[in-house]
Amino acid sequence: MDELIKKLQTDFDGLEISTLAKTRITISTKKESILLLLSYLKRMGYDHLAIISCNDWIKDNELELVYIVSHYLEKDYGPDSEIDKFNIIIKTRIPREKARFVTVLDVFENAEPYERELHEMFGIYFEGHPRLTLLMLERNYKIPPFRKDFNTKKYVDDLYGNIPTIEERKKGKK
Amino acid sequence: MRELELYFGPQHLGMVGNFSITLKVEGDKIIKADANPGYLHRGFEKLMEERTWMQNFPLVCRINVVEPDHMELIYSMGVEKLADIEVPERGKFLRSIYCEMARVNSHLFGLWAYSNMLGFDTVAHWAMYHRDLLLDRFEELTGGRVYHIYLRPGGVRRDFPEGFTTKLVETLHKIGGKVPDYNQTFFENSLFRKRAEGIGIVNLDEAKRMGAVGHILKANGVKYDIRKIEPYDAYDQVEFDIPTQTGADAYSRLLTIRDDMIESVHMIFKLIDKIPPEGDVYTKTPNPFKWTIPAGESYVRCESSRGELGLYIVSDGGEKPYRVHFNTPSYNHGLTVLEKALEGENIADVGNIMISLYVVAPEIDR
Amino acid sequence: MDRNQIGKWFKNPSKMANKYSLHAIYFCTGCGIIEIPPSITTRWDAERFGIIPVATPRQANLFMITGYVSTKTLKAIIRTYEQMPEPKYTVAFGSCPINGGMYYDSYNTIKCLDKFIPVDGYIAGCMPRPEAVFIGVTHLWKLIDMDKANGYKKYRENYPFYRANQEQLFGDLDWPPLFPKENTNG
Repeated sequence: MDELIKKLQTDFDGLEISTLAKTRITISTKKESILLLLSYLKRMGYDHLAIISCNDWIKDNELELVYIVSHYLEKDYGPDSEIDKFNIIIKTRIPREKARFVTVLDVFENAEPYERELHEMFGIYFEGHPRLTLLMLERNYKIPPFRKDFNTKKYVDDLYGNIPTIEERKKGKK
Repeated sequence: MRELELYFGPQHLGMVGNFSITLKVEGDKIIKADANPGYLHRGFEKLMEERTWMQNFPLVCRINVVEPDHMELIYSMGVEKLADIEVPERGKFLRSIYCEMARVNSHLFGLWAYSNMLGFDTVAHWAMYHRDLLLDRFEELTGGRVYHIYLRPGGVRRDFPEGFTTKLVETLHKIGGKVPDYNQTFFENSLFRKRAEGIGIVNLDEAKRMGAVGHILKANGVKYDIRKIEPYDAYDQVEFDIPTQTGADAYSRLLTIRDDMIESVHMIFKLIDKIPPEGDVYTKTPNPFKWTIPAGESYVRCESSRGELGLYIVSDGGEKPYRVHFNTPSYNHGLTVLEKALEGENIADVGNIMISLYVVAPEIDR
Repeated sequence: MDRNQIGKWFKNPSKMANKYSLHAIYFCTGCGIIEIPPSITTRWDAERFGIIPVATPRQANLFMITGYVSTKTLKAIIRTYEQMPEPKYTVAFGSCPINGGMYYDSYNTIKCLDKFIPVDGYIAGCMPRPEAVFIGVTHLWKLIDMDKANGYKKYRENYPFYRANQEQLFGDLDWPPLFPKENTNG
């Protein structure tokens, strides 16, 4: 693991690498080097994209994208091979207004539903994605639902609280 | 021949839960499949940001209705990682026994779903009956048949009652004693082999590109199991094996499910012999009304009965989680792998392939 | 159970035949579906109460809504309910269809199902045990005897108000009204 860290620091600039736990490493980088970093790690053997997630830091006015990669096994694992257990967490920040980012579909093929979900829940536009349509929601929202300034109770009271029961509607009409 | 668009919609006998697929067919062959999830979406990850750390347990177990126990386990592990809590020895063994019982439970439910869809009603009724006998043990331990809130950050909530392990061993002998009948009626039946061999092939290269885990990899011969890669709880103190097969079709996946269930039953017997005779079952946590966890983030993983389950959890030092994101195995299997595995198959095999990929609908939508 | 069954059979045979053979449609709408397979298999046998699952809405007369309802599912539920032939009965499980239940602040679930389709009764539990489902069905029999399980009649009479509620939630609907305006009685 230490030689991988040394190689990364010589080949890329602007990385901040820290150890989160015994088998977890965090790399913070600027947004232009994400695609190169992910394809570099894939060539080094980290070929399983586990998750693409997003944090909404509303106080800093930024969205933080998180990519977590890990290692598939080629053959039977050995009990003392440490390389198979590492998960690398890669983070980057993009601005909150007009959030756009590049898609990683060319590197990892299973990134498609994750990016669709982030598009509808956080409002991030991924350039180059073939189908950015609604995945789970049924309608479009003015503020994307998972952002911190979307107030769920107020939305519920406005939409569902205003629909009358059948008795009330009958009395209202008559 | 013309192209036709069919809706294999939510109300269908061969559907696994509330999920729909849009199929473009030409004659009897499928050209393109589009999965359409979202019928069960409640926005869990947003709801969990409005409730405190301990108040989230009733929500978390309703993410996967067939197997709620691994959801409680992964959330407890995430909170323990953030707050630096250790589980005592006896608590670790009780947790592992409980999770293995849940695994047997879930595999019997999957066997009911698959054989009911194929039309083998006898095996379906047997599987549901044996699952009910196991649910009686869950009811004696926790008080509820379906949603048992038994795990907490730091261990389990209460100890096993008196005589529980003997009754559990009896029930498992009843289930295990019926396995030769299952084999003879279902798994070695030539009708089942004709319907499942060569259907829904997902070979190793495609599976790795599409992010598949669980039984899809085990049916290709790869022993990818988080209980061996990153052992948690008491799994490093008991010996067990990961069964694999080499065909990559629906038949091999069903065989690995059966072997996994038998291996879990043997594992419970071995774990019961090794429980430390006395000790605490949980470590004390602060007052749940005023519990703040220091800022940080973590990613934890465990092995549910469908594959690798992961949780990315972020805290900002407050009483409620800041961001929670579940990475469920059915997300990749139901959206990416399913669309690829259905190309070129017949319409009559859609339910067959979907249930053999072991997809369950609420895990996709959360 | 009923003590004067033979008298009732002579008085109104179609009502008795209707109530002792409720065919339930096979549609898993929510989390409560986990307790339906135990109810219809050998240990808690539902066929002794006359309930069997059927494949299409045209063959069914009982609709069990098992748990919470999201907005996408509500469209499918309304279309399925309108295709069932009359007389038809609806039963809802849990407290989520009554007032939102534990998802009271979710942006995607319906808070009160009675505003969109008529519900005849509710069965308590999260999830209701198979025994609770059977007790609910026997209460439904009593309501059928007393002519109080008339959700389908209310739907027919008040159809414009139900349709107005559905359109307020969804905008324009894809399917035409079930009872066109000239034929409603009152």
